[in-house]
Amino acid sequence: MTQSSGQTSTQGSNLDLPATQATPAVQADWNAGFLLMAGESYPENTYEIFDDIISWVEAYLTGTDRPLHMELRLNYLNTSSIRAMIDIFDRLQNAADAGRELSVNWLYDSRNPRSAELGEEFKEDYDFDFVISAVGD
Amino acid sequence: MSGSTPHGLDDNLEERVAELLADEQYADHPLREVLEQVMDRMGQQLSRLERITQISDRYQTGAQERVLHISRRYDRQIRKLEKAIRISDRYQAMLNDLNKALQEASTHDQLTGLPNRRLMADRCRREDHRSQRESSTYSLLAIDVDRFKTINDTYGHEAGDRVLVELGQAFRRGLRDYDSCARWGGEEFLALLIGADLSTAEHVAQRILETVRSLCVDLPSGVISPRVSIGVAEHHTGELYTDVYRRADAALLLAKESGRDRFLVAAPPTELEIQTAAQLRDDPPSA
Repeated sequence: MTQSSGQTSTQGSNLDLPATQATPAVQADWNAGFLLMAGESYPENTYEIFDDIISWVEAYLTGTDRPLHMELRLNYLNTSSIRAMIDIFDRLQNAADAGRELSVNWLYDSRNPRSAELGEEFKEDYDFDFVISAVGD
Repeated sequence: MSGSTPHGLDDNLEERVAELLADEQYADHPLREVLEQVMDRMGQQLSRLERITQISDRYQTGAQERVLHISRRYDRQIRKLEKAIRISDRYQAMLNDLNKALQEASTHDQLTGLPNRRLMADRCRREDHRSQRESSTYSLLAIDVDRFKTINDTYGHEAGDRVLVELGQAFRRGLRDYDSCARWGGEEFLALLIGADLSTAEHVAQRILETVRSLCVDLPSGVISPRVSIGVAEHHTGELYTDVYRRADAALLLAKESGRDRFLVAAPPTELEIQTAAQLRDDPPSA
């Protein structure tokens, strides 16, 4: 089942948004408890894409008590996208505080080690499992 | 002064009225009943006033809590935005650096680190403009590695690459600070000598030959002592760098043919050559 843009996530739905020039590819698998975001994010209207993602995360966190694993391969984020990512991480932290098992894997291109520092900046305020690792080309 | 009773009444007055009302000798006094009613009504009014005060206090406390709550939320949002801005600044710095690296990659030769043909052509065009404005001069050295194919065939391409890198460094050592040398093609280099007339250019060409002659490239498969040939040409009024280069390249060919490991100076352009070049520029042949 594919969630199209602009709708509110319903229980048990998946997300499968292909990458565009200004938005990352998004895959959310309800049954696997897995959310992947890969690419660059600088859309004119951040909410176009992040509304879907945030409502999926909320639906998953309220609709299940299973673990959630996030994999992020984000090469570039504009300021609004960064803010939206912080919103997502804040929700994860609230869930983690309530005892939810969560993990975030921040993957960066080994040719661009400064991207690791960006992961570190995001990670700073959270105490759930947040791993930063390099991937080769 | 009023006392500290809840109703804020004078204790004595209230007590005295109560005593008088209780006194049996005034039981039939016409004012007694009225006074009793006044006291009763006053008590009700005071307790109502007290309730209103309590409710008002509660509202005030609630408002204070709300303000506190809003200001906490506001602080949280501010911190979140500050974090977003901090990360965004980092992204921008990263992009800026990547941009510089891309620029470097598009203007420099990856192997030797020397300016590439594109950057050198820009610099030569700048000298063309300058020579028009200030009637200054410049010279070009077309430099080619002698028997480079043999080096590649004998020692392998990796060895050939090492030779190019070492030669690039040698050329830089042989040049003046404000001159530049580019990798122009495979084993061909082009040096731009700003403000140099022929005699200066010959001097620099000789120094480059000597620097190269003292060069030994140490390789696992043996030691290579590369040599180069150089064609030298000075810019003449009316010429563009492409014309100067053509003459330098012709001189380079002659240097190769006359035994290599030497430089030769190009003949100045003939009047006809200058006119033809100018004509071609003004009225290029249609494609």
